[in-house]
Amino acid sequence: MSFDSDLARLEAIVAELEHNDVPLDRALKLFEEGVARLRSASAQLSQAEAQVQQLLEQPDGTFRLDPLGG
Amino acid sequence: MRQRRGRAPAPLQDHTPEPSLFGESAGAAQRSSVRTARAPGRLRPDPQDLAISVSALTNLAREIVEGAFVPLWIRGEVTDFKAHRNGHWYFCLRDESSQIRCVVWESQRYRISAPPDEGMQVLAFGRLTVYPSRGDMRFVVTRMAAEGDGLWRKALELAMARLRADGLLAPERKRELSRYPRRVAVVTSPDGAALRDIIAVARRRCALVELVVIPAKVQGDGAAEELIAAIARASRWKDCDTLIIGRGGGARDDLWAFNDERVARALAACPIPTISAVGHEVDVTLCDLVADLRAATPSAAAEAAVPVLEDMRDAVTAATFALRGALQRSLLNAQARLSRTARDVRRVAQRSAERRRANLQMLAARLDALSPLSTLARGYSVARDADGRTLSTVEDFAVGDAFTLLVRDGEVEARTERAVRGPLPPDS
Repeated sequence: MSFDSDLARLEAIVAELEHNDVPLDRALKLFEEGVARLRSASAQLSQAEAQVQQLLEQPDGTFRLDPLGG
Repeated sequence: MRQRRGRAPAPLQDHTPEPSLFGESAGAAQRSSVRTARAPGRLRPDPQDLAISVSALTNLAREIVEGAFVPLWIRGEVTDFKAHRNGHWYFCLRDESSQIRCVVWESQRYRISAPPDEGMQVLAFGRLTVYPSRGDMRFVVTRMAAEGDGLWRKALELAMARLRADGLLAPERKRELSRYPRRVAVVTSPDGAALRDIIAVARRRCALVELVVIPAKVQGDGAAEELIAAIARASRWKDCDTLIIGRGGGARDDLWAFNDERVARALAACPIPTISAVGHEVDVTLCDLVADLRAATPSAAAEAAVPVLEDMRDAVTAATFALRGALQRSLLNAQARLSRTARDVRRVAQRSAERRRANLQMLAARLDALSPLSTLARGYSVARDADGRTLSTVEDFAVGDAFTLLVRDGEVEARTERAVRGPLPPDS
């Protein structure tokens, strides 16, 4: 799950919750999912710094990432 | 034009020597002319013996002309330009007094950015030859540049018109960039200033975003092909959120690969949202036009592509508050709904109880009206035996039996004295 999709989903969840006629059990489910998304988004912010890499295409058409200059 | 073309072979005619001057080759021709002209005691030669064929003449002329001129640049004004449907371009270059017919072979056209306009002053590089089949001279052009920027500007306009016709410049094609990309691909030279700038800016803003370089030559021969290959690689890979393509600033010629229509088309077809960053403030390249976003410099591209880490933290905090608030509101809503419903239920229940009570009262009143007791109230009485059965006919009474008389305010024990069927006594 990417930070971007986590935040986008959170926005959708909040929007749905703000709707007046969400059944209570649905609201609780949404909240639970929202908390999971928040956790995932926060976790991504505490990841290690990314390296600059280089895209290499291998003969079989698959791709590999190598550290740049390595 | 036609008249001029007619005059074109004139210089050849001026120099055309006597038929006797010509032999199998230029050198031989000269030697033999000397011999022929000066040999004493010979008969005037018979033209029959001396005449050579037109082909021999024109072929010889071609050899001489091609041998005499190295490939060279000439300067002139373009007239009578014609792009033949076989792909070759035909035109004349002229100045105040002369002209030369020129051709650009279809196979060489790619070297020239655009067909020249009528009247354009150009520099043309090529070699001079003679067309044996027509007997006229041609300048075979392999490179051409307009004086000033006429040609490349025209080439750009033509390419732009084609891109526009294909809808590739439409504003509604522009895609939104990913707000929080995980990975940003950069198509550029791995050792250029552009990459250094992008890395520096991206690190400063958010070092969590992964940068993936897809190396490509950005100027000189083969640059366009490498850029196209790099874009194609990114398009196949797809595993990134944003693609930056660019280079640092440079002279117009250095940026030319980014004006290559094929590069622009490859970029337009890229499934990943693109940022073009060709470091040139003045000229907009074709890549700039088709990209989803144009950045003035590679640094600006990195700024557009990479969010600031603090902003991401703020976004998470804001989302936390929003989620909590939304749930709270949702719970409050549910609570309000519940108490509203309870109130409604109470009200309905109350109303129905009241209605029932009113009904009951009404029924009681009606029952009361129908009750035999009210008859008693009017002065009648009811006779009942010991079992409570009502005694309503003469047969119900046996002489000597006890019975109870129900009157308005109580009961009276009585006994039958006499029971006679017949009309009621007038006053009972």
